[in-house]
Amino acid sequence: MSDSDRRSFLKRSVTAVSALAVTGCAPGSEPGSEAVEGSDASTSAALPPTTLEAVGEVVLPAELPPEERQQVVAGFRDWLAGFRPVVEQNHGYGTSEIDYGPPDPAPAYRAQLLALDLEAQRRHGSDFAALAPEPREALLRRSLEGVAGTGMPNPLTAEHVALALMARYYDSAAALDRCYGVGIARYSCRGLSGMTDRPAPLEGV
Amino acid sequence: MASVIEADICIIGGGITAAMVALRLAEDTSASIAVVEAGGRTDPLEERFEARQRYMDYGDTPYPGDHIPDQTARGIMSRSMVLGGQAMHWGGTTPRFTPEDFRVRSLYGVGTDWPIDYDELEPFYQEAEERIGVSGEQGPEELDPRSSPYPMPAIPLSWTLDRLKEWGERSGIPFWANPVAKNSVPYRGRNVCQRCDTCTICPTGAKYTPDFSFNQLLEEGRIELHLNTLVRRLELEDATDRIEVAQAVNLESGEEVELRARSFVLASGYAWGPHLLLLSANSRYPDGLANRTGNVGRWMTGHRPVSAYVEVPMELYPGIYSRHSLISNRFRRPGPLDRYLRHDLRIWESEVGRQPRLRDDDGTLLLGDAVMADWRSRGSQGAARLRGYYDVLPSRESRLTLDSSLRNDLGDPLPRVDFVDSEASLALRQHSEDSIRGVFSELVRAGGGRMLRSGVQDIYDHPGGGARMGDDPESSVVDRWGRTHDHENLWVVGAPTMVSGGCANGTLTFSALSLRSASELGKEFPSTA
Ligand SMILES: Cc1cc2nc3c(=O)[nH]c(=O)nc-3n(C[C@H](O)[C@H](O)[C@H](O)COP(=O)(O)OP(=O)(O)OC[C@H]3O[C@@H](n4cnc5c(N)ncnc54)[C@H](O)[C@@H]3O)c2cc1C
Repeated sequence: MSDSDRRSFLKRSVTAVSALAVTGCAPGSEPGSEAVEGSDASTSAALPPTTLEAVGEVVLPAELPPEERQQVVAGFRDWLAGFRPVVEQNHGYGTSEIDYGPPDPAPAYRAQLLALDLEAQRRHGSDFAALAPEPREALLRRSLEGVAGTGMPNPLTAEHVALALMARYYDSAAALDRCYGVGIARYSCRGLSGMTDRPAPLEGV
Repeated sequence: MASVIEADICIIGGGITAAMVALRLAEDTSASIAVVEAGGRTDPLEERFEARQRYMDYGDTPYPGDHIPDQTARGIMSRSMVLGGQAMHWGGTTPRFTPEDFRVRSLYGVGTDWPIDYDELEPFYQEAEERIGVSGEQGPEELDPRSSPYPMPAIPLSWTLDRLKEWGERSGIPFWANPVAKNSVPYRGRNVCQRCDTCTICPTGAKYTPDFSFNQLLEEGRIELHLNTLVRRLELEDATDRIEVAQAVNLESGEEVELRARSFVLASGYAWGPHLLLLSANSRYPDGLANRTGNVGRWMTGHRPVSAYVEVPMELYPGIYSRHSLISNRFRRPGPLDRYLRHDLRIWESEVGRQPRLRDDDGTLLLGDAVMADWRSRGSQGAARLRGYYDVLPSRESRLTLDSSLRNDLGDPLPRVDFVDSEASLALRQHSEDSIRGVFSELVRAGGGRMLRSGVQDIYDHPGGGARMGDDPESSVVDRWGRTHDHENLWVVGAPTMVSGGCANGTLTFSALSLRSASELGKEFPSTA
């Protein structure tokens, strides 16, 4: 199996794979270069960029260089813009069910970002992005109170945009490499050479 | 009025077994060959990079339009109905069966012996590996018998898998690279594996999919391909038991199509093959064609997986090539046994318990650096997935039947598949599953680490049967070559002809059986030699 084992396991793994953010191997397939055809790009493009950026500062690792963090946030916006609602999913092995993907999460994510700004205004008299780190994190934590589950959610069905951003980042090849401090480049089409070697350490991680 | 298609040989189905039959017949004979596939085409190779990306990003199907909405079934059933069949999606794992699989009654007193043995199938295994393109490593000879080397060297073990091999072998059980239908070197015009690690959809063409073979046969002008053409019934000649015509419908235009041929080959997989035989009942065969002795749709086979996730006491890097795995035949060739149990054994890398998470063990929500720190701390020990498939000895009551409460848009009843373990298998079930868990525990004991969790999936994997082969027409549907006992010009190939499901992935065996059938059928047509 993709070999993906089997039936219910396969169905789960489809969801897991769907949550992968990868540096793709197709020409022009890097996160961020996704075409927006077929999606309501205007909805996700309207995610307030400054607020999303500020959320990224709270939930993404502070060890990320600022440019990399900005790229992650921009990649998230582009990824969301490329989403097509309720598309047929890869069908599982050994099940006759055909599943469809979720509706567009962008409107809810946008509303959550606007709510962060509104709450920041009401509590502190300034936009979320303008808050000092501590009240910013406190406010975000309050919004995430009651979020269920231990694992990273599927970024398309996360309860909150902050979690979607985290999940998307932590499923990426870049995050895996950063975690282990080596260059694995998961899911990039890397060829067979070099796979028997211990992955080389990454500089600066 | 129906349009009429005439050919010497009509192959019903466009999956991997149909591809094998078409390739072999096209090479051996000058017969005209019509391939009839109910589905259409899914995305061509050039579009698979983009399809893969959307699959990874959003879970979108990488094979749009690869099923027919109203052709479904109750029971274990994959939906692919498309040129290439299920082997568009497949993982490409291609172990052979071992000699014991064909002789379980003689060797162990359980189940049924096949009418053929391993040695008779061996040349066709080799041929299937060559036609498909299999990369593999010769295991220890006594555990992995073969007459010739694999067509391609094995896909190398990743650094991580090599360490897991070393871990597994501390138990004394030998492991080697799992054979796969993926090119380790450029092969027959197809690309070498690029380690994209999304083998469900291979964007480079390094994984074999049957559409490559059909495209080649079309380019060579050796087949006529009729897509979107669903065969609904096979009909007999007036006064004989020969099949005269396959009645079909073009699902796009609604036009009726009549396929006339000297020989018909049912290469439609384990579900649709028996289904068509049952659908084709007539006054002379009221229970379905080839069903004089009531064996069509019976003896459905498969194997059941027992899995475990274990922590291993070594640092491992996940993601170097997570789809690659190790295999051992140690328990497929167990020697004499007090109680019957045969199973394969596989090891993969795993990230279970090592993934980034939202909350730590105390339930605290992690944000920012805390997530990365938590992830790093848990990644210092590696993990592995273990799995054993054990064969479930089929019962005669393990059945595919027509379900009159579930019909397609044409009003035809659809299949219902109810797999049932034989009495012998039921009696052995606890012993089988406990013993496999015992093997997992032994790996952990010898290699170090700890069991995280284990489980059994109550399924039949790589299903087959429904038109099983045998020398005795009273207990089988086709002879040892795949020719139906009842109709001299009707052949069933591949999965439905399986006598038992063995204890390893079945598709290479389906393919080898299909090539063997084609080699025999080809003798009835002018040779190209
Ligand atoms: C996700 C996944 C992973 C897998 N991984 C592996 C693996 O690693 N190793 C392994 O051994 N196996 C694997 N398998 C199983 C393997 O793909 C199948 O065993 C194999 O492809 C079956 O081939 P087939 O020719 O018997 O049938 P199919 O692939 O089902 O092809 C039959 C074709 O016949 C057509 N057809 C049926 N009825 C009619 C009709 N009446 N008229 C016209 N056309 C008809 C269908 O549309 C279909 O295209 C996997 C399967 C899946 C889905």
